[in-house]
Amino acid sequence: MRSIRLFLYGIPALLVVFLIAAFVNATFLSVTKKNEMSIGTLGEPSTLNPIQQADSAASEVAGMMFNGLIKYSRDLEVIGDLATDWTLSQESTFRFQNHEEALKSRDFINTLLSSTPALPVTGLEVQEDRLIVQLRQAGLHASEQIFKTLCDLNYNPLPFPALAKGEKPSPFLAEPILRFHLRKDVRWHDGVPFTAADVAFTYHAIMDERVASPRRSDFELVSSLTVPSPYEVVVRYRKPFSPALASWMQSILPAHLLEKVDPAKWPEIYNRHPIGTGPFKFDSWKTNERIRLVKNPDYFLGSPWLDSIVFRVLPDPLTLQLAFQTKQVDFWGVQPWAVKGLESDPRFELFSAPGNMYNYIGWNLRRPMFQDLRVRQALAQAVNVPQMIKYIIYGRGVQSNGIYTPQVWFYDPKVKPLSYDPKASKSLLDQAGWKPGPDGIRVKDGKRLSFTLLANNGNEVRRDIATLVQDDLKQVGIEVKVEVYEWAVLLKRFVNKGEFDAIVLGWGLGYDFDQYAIWDSSQTHPEELNFIGYSNPKVDRLLSDLRQEYNRPEIIRMAGELQQTIYDDQPYLFLFVPEGTSVMWKGAYRIRRPGRNPGEWIDTPVTMTKAGWSCDMEWFYRPEYPPQAKGSKP
Amino acid sequence: MESFIIRRLGLSLVLLFIISIISFFIVTLTPGSPYPWGELNPKISAEVKANFRKKFHLDRPLPEQYALTMRDLFTGNLRSIKDDRPVLSRIMERLPATLALNVTSILISLSFGTLIGVAAARYAGSWQEVTGSFITFIFIALPGFWISYLLATVLVSNFGVPILGTQSYGIDFPNATAEWLDRLWHLLVPATVLALGGIAAQSRYLRATMIGTMKEDYIRTARAKGLPEDVVLFTHALRNSIRPIISGIGMLLPALISGAVIVENIFAYPGMGRLGYEAVLERDYPTLVALNFVVAALVLLGNLISDILSAAVDPRVRLE
Amino acid sequence: MSTLIQGIPQSGQSRFLTRFRSNPFAIPSVLMILIFVVIAVGTALFSSFGHQWPCDPNLTNLEQKLLPPSSLHWLGTDNLGRDVLSRMLHGAYISLTVGLVAVSVSLGIGVLVGAVSGYFGGMTDQILMRTVDALLCFPTFFLILTVVAILGPSLLNIVIIIGLVSWTGTARLVRAEFLTLRETEYVKGARVLGQKSWKIIMQHILPNAAAPILVTAILGIPDAILSEAGLSFLGFGVQPPQATWGNIIADGKTYLLYAWWLNLFPGLAILIASLSFYLAGDALREAAEGRD
Repeated sequence: MRSIRLFLYGIPALLVVFLIAAFVNATFLSVTKKNEMSIGTLGEPSTLNPIQQADSAASEVAGMMFNGLIKYSRDLEVIGDLATDWTLSQESTFRFQNHEEALKSRDFINTLLSSTPALPVTGLEVQEDRLIVQLRQAGLHASEQIFKTLCDLNYNPLPFPALAKGEKPSPFLAEPILRFHLRKDVRWHDGVPFTAADVAFTYHAIMDERVASPRRSDFELVSSLTVPSPYEVVVRYRKPFSPALASWMQSILPAHLLEKVDPAKWPEIYNRHPIGTGPFKFDSWKTNERIRLVKNPDYFLGSPWLDSIVFRVLPDPLTLQLAFQTKQVDFWGVQPWAVKGLESDPRFELFSAPGNMYNYIGWNLRRPMFQDLRVRQALAQAVNVPQMIKYIIYGRGVQSNGIYTPQVWFYDPKVKPLSYDPKASKSLLDQAGWKPGPDGIRVKDGKRLSFTLLANNGNEVRRDIATLVQDDLKQVGIEVKVEVYEWAVLLKRFVNKGEFDAIVLGWGLGYDFDQYAIWDSSQTHPEELNFIGYSNPKVDRLLSDLRQEYNRPEIIRMAGELQQTIYDDQPYLFLFVPEGTSVMWKGAYRIRRPGRNPGEWIDTPVTMTKAGWSCDMEWFYRPEYPPQAKGSKP
Repeated sequence: MESFIIRRLGLSLVLLFIISIISFFIVTLTPGSPYPWGELNPKISAEVKANFRKKFHLDRPLPEQYALTMRDLFTGNLRSIKDDRPVLSRIMERLPATLALNVTSILISLSFGTLIGVAAARYAGSWQEVTGSFITFIFIALPGFWISYLLATVLVSNFGVPILGTQSYGIDFPNATAEWLDRLWHLLVPATVLALGGIAAQSRYLRATMIGTMKEDYIRTARAKGLPEDVVLFTHALRNSIRPIISGIGMLLPALISGAVIVENIFAYPGMGRLGYEAVLERDYPTLVALNFVVAALVLLGNLISDILSAAVDPRVRLE
Repeated sequence: MSTLIQGIPQSGQSRFLTRFRSNPFAIPSVLMILIFVVIAVGTALFSSFGHQWPCDPNLTNLEQKLLPPSSLHWLGTDNLGRDVLSRMLHGAYISLTVGLVAVSVSLGIGVLVGAVSGYFGGMTDQILMRTVDALLCFPTFFLILTVVAILGPSLLNIVIIIGLVSWTGTARLVRAEFLTLRETEYVKGARVLGQKSWKIIMQHILPNAAAPILVTAILGIPDAILSEAGLSFLGFGVQPPQATWGNIIADGKTYLLYAWWLNLFPGLAILIASLSFYLAGDALREAAEGRD
């Protein structure tokens, strides 16, 4: 009996003692000062293999461990990463009846060159019935000019048969060639030297079906990739494709580790503990808790100042906030409503910039009620977007005027957003034949102007938008039912099938102007991105022309035209571009980064740049651990 | 005894089979697609997605999918759709943490629950007991997420104590004791929250059983014999009420594993509850099937153990 | 013991009530339940006539978002400027509906299965009980999450699903009762006399099993309410702009450190409502059990 009593009272007592001891221990613990950066992330990366990942958590981590051939600088210029320099040229081929005709045209072009030195031709060659022209720049202009001249003077170039299914025969071939020269001083984290063979391998891996890489479409226009020497890569494209250069910011994988291995084995032998060339190397991954990287002292630009970086997985936004307040993570992506309170707090430093995304309401253009442009304009003018910005995101954002966001170089500020004008809206609706019905909701041909607006749960901003839009539209006699679904369901049941009325969504964009996948009329099949069913031949032409345009002023002009044309069509109700804000404990970090000249170092506090505040994160340091003065590698 | 165990085991296996079928079909019939990349990613063509479907035999008829999935599960080949790693290794990674959490939680529930239950039975009717019961009821009625958030906020804002994950981050521990105490702390906080409901349930159950037992004739006899109340209580009444304590384990297990979803999320604790929740959101069918299977197996195991213990303690059980 | 005839004999009834009243929590909890029901039903009635008190729960007023409790808004406002008190009153209605309907579903299935199992016994019993065991092994919450994802998160679906996963306890209880009651003299006699099974069940057995079934029902209501709150919290609950207690907490969780009223009041409401039902149910059970 005594033993029963012992257990009965003893075990609870023991537990209480443990609890108190653990609590006391916990209160006495203090965060040790370590030369380590701690970043909180809401999601856990699915894999650290850069060619197989597509979630932002993964790219954040992998970004520290890998390099691409090129990258963006703080001012959003394209600079070399693994590549020291590169050239872009083009080979244009014209076809003739026979060898003699080809020779004749070559001679003609030669004479043309002496009188028009502006033509960017660097070489001419005849092979059988073909004339091959080497051009200094890529794009269609020069080739078109040559073709036109040849035609005008009756040299009769023949068309080429269609290159691929669904394409028309083309009058000439224009194949851009990208030539990269690579750094010779780069080593993988395991010491093996980096060479062009790694680039070739990465390309082939991306195109390999077994790898199932989401990056494949970036490289589909590549016709060949050759490695003339260990530090040179030559990529040839089937036709002009200006987004191609940016695609080489793609991280490069080590051939020596993965080449001979079946991709099915990659998850076990590589994806969870990868090897890269970057400033930090992989240390450990405690699933669902944290990923730890340590510095790579042999990094080709010099060893980073931090000893290590830890990414902590904190799935709940509230716990992320709590972790920041107890200095368990160093940065926090602040929600708009909290910005004001934090701004005035001298302990913190905030970094704000317009996000590279915009929120919108997509109208399903297959629905008859949305097919009238006047109705879409009326909808846009009935919604009070400035008020939305003021109250949903606390003023931290700007109204969107179309498909591009303000900080990209091809953005057109001249496109004017529609103003909030319920009166104008009502009159537009009247004009379109929608007259107010007995219950206040407009009616036309017996149909009420009523639709369902979808949003995804888990995103409060979009849910709030839906509620506000519901209210605003009620004022002009439109009935809106709001339905919120889980993201995966939303996509599978509604979006991918094109079966919805309207939906609140957002696009996160890159820094390039190519939006073919979203706006081209051919991209309206299930699971494609033009799920609203938008079709405008002028837009199709602009999209395809943009893809083949390399000339900057031309690009700006065409992008502006595209932005205006799409905005005028109102296929979306363009809402706003939210500002993203991050907060850091003041003075917790500074940056010491390499300058333009070898041996030069620039030491500044952490500031906002065009490329974000976390640009050059590999050069962050903690003031308590000042970097030793050292020479940099060239 | 042996035949009892064998019968129980056979029964459990049959149940496991039924469960595997049910869970597989429910899981595969949900809408939502299982791609590991964000949907609406402009970089992914329909062709890539088709290849993906082929890879995970999502294009075969359902019964064939079931057979293939089960085969893969048992040979350890079943791979998660999210990151292509074997599902079993994902589950095994979380298993120690989950077991630690659940075992601790059950321990807390049973020990405190029994103590309170016995005390309640002893002092039944007194104002202390009534108040105690009231508090117990509050435990049952508390919404788990509410109390977790309140606790988390109080501990962090007022005491500055770290509570997330299984270990405090960024600390150099002065000695091994400090480190173990820290782990214990991180374990005890979510375990206690989870145990609150169990404490209440257990104590009410025990109280009711003991009160019932104490009305029996042999208790009256013992009292009449002049035995002190304590002896009566502990030797006779409690002994015969042991069964509820043991079957308490069987009761608590399934509730724990699913109830942990919310608590694990809030305290960032890497357990199977969170794994399951994320798998539902991502429609990671292989993980869900395997998880349901493993959880059900664990629950069945727990029930089996508690049944065997009951049989060991009370011979009447063996005849069931 | 008074004979077990149809219905409860007079003297048994008054003894029952005495025992019930002797439980110190009985009366307060029943009162609380009544208040809850009155509020819920009253709010629903009023709003169907167009009167909202204190104001429309869906009225957004962005200039007044996230205000702490004041004389104008007794419980503060939420992130869209909606009055929390009004939303909570409507939430009471939803919670009550969820509780009642879910429990009805669960009761319906549970009683049916338990009755058939307990009365007919044999193979039917074995099969049904094995199914019950199998379902008990499931992680119910995952199951609810998954199924809500299939069918979509509407009020009706959630309620049915909660009911569908919680009938097992009732089934077991009913079966146990039926097993006992089946062996009583008059039931045996009725069978000998050739009365149909269903009639026997309805006329003789069920009424005497009524009390424990009622207790289970009452104890099941707070479980349903808590489940709904948990689902809303995870984002799988009733959709906006409907106000439920779980929704208010879920919407307010991001602002927890700044707008404590969005978390405190609905949580308290859930706590008090659940508590009342538990206490009442417990008192009822003690009173009923004392009878035997």
